[in-house]
Amino acid sequence: MTQGKLILSETGRMIFAAVIALAVALVIILLSSKTPLETFQTFLTGPLSSKRTVGTWIDDASKLALAGLAFSLVFQARQFALGVQGQVYIGGLLASTIALSPLGLSWISIPLGAIAAMLGGALLGFIPGYAKAKLNANEIVSSLMLNYIAYDFTAMMLRLYLASPKSGLTASDPFPPTAVYPAFIARTRMDLGLVLALVTVVVVWFLLYRTAWGLKLRLTGHNARFAAYSGIRSNFIMVSAMTVSGAIGGLLGALFVQGTGFAKLAAGFEAGLSFEGILIAIVARNRPLAIPFVALGYGYLRQGAALMGYRTDVPAEVIGIVQGIVILLVASSFTLPGRALLNRIMGGRSAAEAS
Amino acid sequence: MTLILEARGIDKTYPGGVHANQNIDLSVTAGTVHAVVGENGAGKSTLMKILFGVEQPNAGEILLDGKPIVLHSPRAAIAAGIGMVFQHFSLVPSFTVAENVVLGVEPRSGLKLDRKRAAETVQALAERFRLPVDVESPVERLPVGQQQRVEILKALYREARVLILDEPTAVLAPQEVVELFAAIRSLTEQGRTILFIAHKLPEVLEISDRISVMRAGKMVGEVAASEATEKSLARMMVGRDVALKVERAHKGPHEHFCRIAGLTVKNDRGLDAIKDMDLVLRTGEIVGIAAVEGNGQSELFDALGGLRPIEGGSVELGGIDVTDLSVEEKRDAGLAHIPEDRIATGSAGGATIAENIVATELGDTRFVRRGLLDGKAIRDHAVELIAKFSVRAPGPDAAIGTLSGGNMQKVVVARELSAKPRMLLVSHPTRGVDLGATEFIWQRLAEARDGGASILLTSADLSELLALADRMIVLYRGRIVAAFANTADLTPEVLGSYMLGFAAQGHEELKAALA
Repeated sequence: MTQGKLILSETGRMIFAAVIALAVALVIILLSSKTPLETFQTFLTGPLSSKRTVGTWIDDASKLALAGLAFSLVFQARQFALGVQGQVYIGGLLASTIALSPLGLSWISIPLGAIAAMLGGALLGFIPGYAKAKLNANEIVSSLMLNYIAYDFTAMMLRLYLASPKSGLTASDPFPPTAVYPAFIARTRMDLGLVLALVTVVVVWFLLYRTAWGLKLRLTGHNARFAAYSGIRSNFIMVSAMTVSGAIGGLLGALFVQGTGFAKLAAGFEAGLSFEGILIAIVARNRPLAIPFVALGYGYLRQGAALMGYRTDVPAEVIGIVQGIVILLVASSFTLPGRALLNRIMGGRSAAEAS
Repeated sequence: MTLILEARGIDKTYPGGVHANQNIDLSVTAGTVHAVVGENGAGKSTLMKILFGVEQPNAGEILLDGKPIVLHSPRAAIAAGIGMVFQHFSLVPSFTVAENVVLGVEPRSGLKLDRKRAAETVQALAERFRLPVDVESPVERLPVGQQQRVEILKALYREARVLILDEPTAVLAPQEVVELFAAIRSLTEQGRTILFIAHKLPEVLEISDRISVMRAGKMVGEVAASEATEKSLARMMVGRDVALKVERAHKGPHEHFCRIAGLTVKNDRGLDAIKDMDLVLRTGEIVGIAAVEGNGQSELFDALGGLRPIEGGSVELGGIDVTDLSVEEKRDAGLAHIPEDRIATGSAGGATIAENIVATELGDTRFVRRGLLDGKAIRDHAVELIAKFSVRAPGPDAAIGTLSGGNMQKVVVARELSAKPRMLLVSHPTRGVDLGATEFIWQRLAEARDGGASILLTSADLSELLALADRMIVLYRGRIVAAFANTADLTPEVLGSYMLGFAAQGHEELKAALA
């Protein structure tokens, strides 16, 4: 199958999965809403209803894309490290520390915050990788446990040092404007984060497909025994993949706290978005260039559901069901219905032509 | 002699456009062994899948006992008395033999599986058809040959009268082949019919009554086994004369290149697989290792290739001690390795052909500079090797996993030989590879030898070892028990008695032969 055909069929599968999921959502809305049509309309068109909601959608998609990139990098090396959430918290904590320090009064706090967040995330990604290489510790368990440590450590530091008394110890003071990402369109969340996400897409694509490190990483993911046989040091590849993925997770943390959406460190700020990166990575088949599109599409549904939750009588949790169905359909590698039938017709005809 | 199974005018085009079967006729007489031979991709497997109901033909009909029958699924084929054993078994590893055999049609007592009756029935079946197997043992503990018996028993338990065996000998050691053939004979004596798919011609000639030959989707002829020779069959299969013969190395003053001293290697269970081995390879020679599967040859090759730790002793290549070096460093010292399993070890199925070829050369400035891949050079190199080794592939960007076994093996051989190795490890280079490709691979190995490479070769196929090796050693339970110059009077029988441990050369005799 050629590259073009593959992209077409994968896109077809994705759209089909989304349509099925939306149909199920419609049924749920029909059953639970007093005004089902308006509710469904809010779900489907809400994100486009104003400049502000478009901004929120794009901001959400940028964050989803970064989470998806972090996961796809380790998934391509066939490592199931799930530590993005912890990296986001540590990244957010470090970026906040920079933003709330005297450095925050200068624009330098924006690059410094991002760098500090990436270093922190990288360290957090490195730990389960190193533990696996040296101690054969299962990366799924160790990375998930690190998430708890990172979450609680961030909460603890927030309460001890950064929290504003006014907030009831759940958030810091707002960052000085110099430490907040500039927005492209006033009073929307469309800010520097979008640029950082797009740059990261290109960087990850370049690393994976244009460098020897990326080829080694992908070969290790395809077949670790083959990699060892070829002379690739697969332990180094594994640890470095998890470290680089951690840096992306850390960057996502900076995006959260220094973006216009928060502009402060708040307890539980990532609200579970990190794990949705798994869905983005799976649906995009770990292809970095597909990730922004998947993130845009899924971010749209997420925003629609959120707006539906605010504006109508159906709760936003419907998105959880939509997500589950999309994952099931995409991960189960179904083939488009009708194709078998089409093949039979085509096959039958070519045989008839031959005879 | 009555015909039991007939195919008339079978035609099959796959949706991708491959015309796999073109107007195929096949008549199988009851109580005989009927072989269908052909190169990889000749359409044998497609025909068998049609006869077993896995694939549906676009045209043609199938007759069983003279009556037309439509096999719309394997279930229908089984109900009609047709059974099939595929190359890849479908057994539940943790279930016992008896449980696997009865799975799906279990004898019951009430709602429960009647274990006792299942075991007894399977035991009786095994004895009746000379397929001895421990019915209470979990399948995962059995060697491949016995797992195959379980598959055959499964078909017989479902009362198969016609049994299709798809390349049954490809996974078997020589001794296991002998046992399989004994079972096949007992099956036909008791009126069962065997359809035997193969491409190893000596085996086909030994076991079959009639032989049908396929080439490129067409049936090119049918002969009685008694009237066919290996040569005549090969010509029918390939469409030209095939010379499965390789010139021996020119004798001359060849210096020692690879020196293995006191080598000890452990297997996965921590036991010694290779014990205190001494062996010297000269430049420009092929040393063949004959051994029954599981006598340490796999571990030896893994250890020399750097995939398994060396517990003791040393390995020198051209005066450099490579014992503790990484795979990358060993490859830099001139080592290349054609592994026994091209799918599990020799390739990354999801990666492209070009990526698979460059995988061992990522330190080479032709392909990688400052950590960046030179995509054009990598593709050009792959295109060149694809042409040079006549690999049938859509192009360098096709996933290697989509190639047929023979073509995949050619890519592996091409990659390993393109590094111009001075020491080459070769395991089962032509396992599951068709005749044309076998001839080609043998010639390339002989060329590498003539170019001065030292080659250590092992194969389950003794005729391959005898055709290629300049010297032969026999490995039994991790030790060298015999060594020979490969002369005309060295026969498989002589090797066999050492391989099975019935004989061993004395210390002095061995030392003289190894020097």
